[in-house]
Amino acid sequence: MNRTLVAGVDIGSLTTKSVILSNGALIGSSIIPTGIYPEKSGLEVLEKAMKSVGCQGEKPAYTVATGYGRISAPYADETMTEITCHAKGAYSINQATRTVIDMGGQDCKIIRIDNAGNVSDFIMNDKCAAGTGRFLEVIASVFKVNLENLGPMALQAEEIVPISSTCTVFAESEVVSLLARGEKPDNILRGVHHAIAHRVTGMTVRVGVDDAILFSGGVAKNEGMRSALADAFKKPVIVPNFDPQIIGALGAARIAEKRVSCDAS
Amino acid sequence: MTLSTLEKIRNAVKQRPGILESEKNNGKIVVGWFGYFIPEEIIHALGMIPVRLGRGGDERLVELGARYISSQNCAFIRASMGMFADDSDPYLRNADVVAFDNACMQIFRLGEVSKYYFKKKTLFIGVPRNPYSIASQTYFRNEFENFTRNLELLAHKKLDPLDLADSVDLFQNIRDVTKEIVQSLLVSNFPLSWKEVTEVIHAGYYLDKRNYLSLLQELLREIESSTKSTAQKPQEIRIILSGSVVAPGDHKIVDLIEQMKGTIVRDDLWSGLNPSLQMHIEHPSVSSIADAYLSRIPHYTLPCIEKDDDFRFEHLKSTVLETRAQGVIYHTIRYCDSATFKTTGLKNRLRNVGIPMLEIHTEYSDSDVEAIRTRVEAFFEILKMQNESGVRA
Repeated sequence: MNRTLVAGVDIGSLTTKSVILSNGALIGSSIIPTGIYPEKSGLEVLEKAMKSVGCQGEKPAYTVATGYGRISAPYADETMTEITCHAKGAYSINQATRTVIDMGGQDCKIIRIDNAGNVSDFIMNDKCAAGTGRFLEVIASVFKVNLENLGPMALQAEEIVPISSTCTVFAESEVVSLLARGEKPDNILRGVHHAIAHRVTGMTVRVGVDDAILFSGGVAKNEGMRSALADAFKKPVIVPNFDPQIIGALGAARIAEKRVSCDAS
Repeated sequence: MTLSTLEKIRNAVKQRPGILESEKNNGKIVVGWFGYFIPEEIIHALGMIPVRLGRGGDERLVELGARYISSQNCAFIRASMGMFADDSDPYLRNADVVAFDNACMQIFRLGEVSKYYFKKKTLFIGVPRNPYSIASQTYFRNEFENFTRNLELLAHKKLDPLDLADSVDLFQNIRDVTKEIVQSLLVSNFPLSWKEVTEVIHAGYYLDKRNYLSLLQELLREIESSTKSTAQKPQEIRIILSGSVVAPGDHKIVDLIEQMKGTIVRDDLWSGLNPSLQMHIEHPSVSSIADAYLSRIPHYTLPCIEKDDDFRFEHLKSTVLETRAQGVIYHTIRYCDSATFKTTGLKNRLRNVGIPMLEIHTEYSDSDVEAIRTRVEAFFEILKMQNESGVRA
């Protein structure tokens, strides 16, 4: 079969993702938990993604690595920050995208995109787990529920219990206190999601927000968070119709695709 | 390539604590100082040794200092407080008196708290928040007159106008040569990095001023004989570093920029080049020195009085144009509220004239190094993209 495959690998703090493109089409992807050796995780996810498109053992024509583990990716032809990759990935899904909210395992980013799909500005959260997957994991452990149940529970709330802190440590003890006071778990969870959403809107003060807003990263799978963000921004928030966790890897693959097409021309 | 004069300067700095101690034992008075508005010319003219104090980048000193001063003071202030507690810094230990100005209220607090706990002899200079009025000028002249009287009491002598004239000349020469050396950073095959040039500027905090001037002149000659091209390096990312203090010992942000292949072509820092700029002493008199200090680029901790055309913003903008820098990295230390508070306004103003700015908000611990690396790298990706698409010349 005569096809050129390019790959993007996004080594995040909690999960490692890979996307395979061929002739502009996303033909394969894979997600695995990030192990203690980011290099191994990157290689493993790339092999799995290649296997998913029937090319086990083969090497893509060009690979771009991103995410915090990009500095340990000798298998990649190039590395690029997750900020640029998320922008490229989001723009390739919807060219109307001007703002990307990426909520990953250990950080949260707001990325502004110009009308050519390039990053014009960005802001990242600062040494803090608030608004990240890790924060929601801690909250899930307090409620003793699976992470994926947090969103549906929050959407069943009858009211929003305000949470005053988005600091992971303080929020955890605040939630414990609220439970002890007899507040309903669903209502507390709605409050948790709204607190995070308002923190994200606060981050946008320095970079601004423009339509369309695309929500990416693992937290974008959480429908409670999607709803809370739309409420906070008073605007619709787009979530891709496939796994939002692979947007960074998709962007990396799009960059790889561009490099190959530049070489060919 | 390491220039031989740079090695000479490094050796001189290594030997300086021992020499300073001998001079002190021979009766010389050492005046340590923190801030931006301490007139070294007057200290020097009275036969005393001015030494600029402060350390950065040392988390241990920050922790130590936080035992004495609130943790909501910036890392530099806490580290400086830690210097008092630690008592191992040779310059601070040898200081007979420590002078502080209150341009930065945290530095003023450092003076108050260190005086309370460590019983160091201290002197203070008040700085007007609005430097543009006649009343401010009068107040500041009075502050310098008072400061001079206090120094005269310590020195047991009156300020001699001829000595003052000599000292004014000496310090002006130091500033002039410093500016020439920094200007050479714009040359593509300049043999020193900004980090090394700053190391030279920081050497001036400690060294005997006449010796320092002759070393600077020697360094300039060596630079001039080794640089020829003015062409810009290909793929070079030219950066101006602005914001909070980058004190001796604080290499975190600079190392990250250099690791990412960025070139700092100029700084806009009160711990770097700024004290050498816009300083012209009309006459060798205390009041004229006060006027010159007040007319310099305002310290970043002072409020923006002329909000629409603040001198600092205009200076930064013209520096970007002069140096053909592609962007500004605005480095703020956690709890340095005066610098942090100005971030959004500065960023918006720079954006309006097409100059991208990245704020890096950090402290001395290494826990956020990788997160900062990502931000700097992403900023450079934006600049490269702009270069490729020709968005900004």
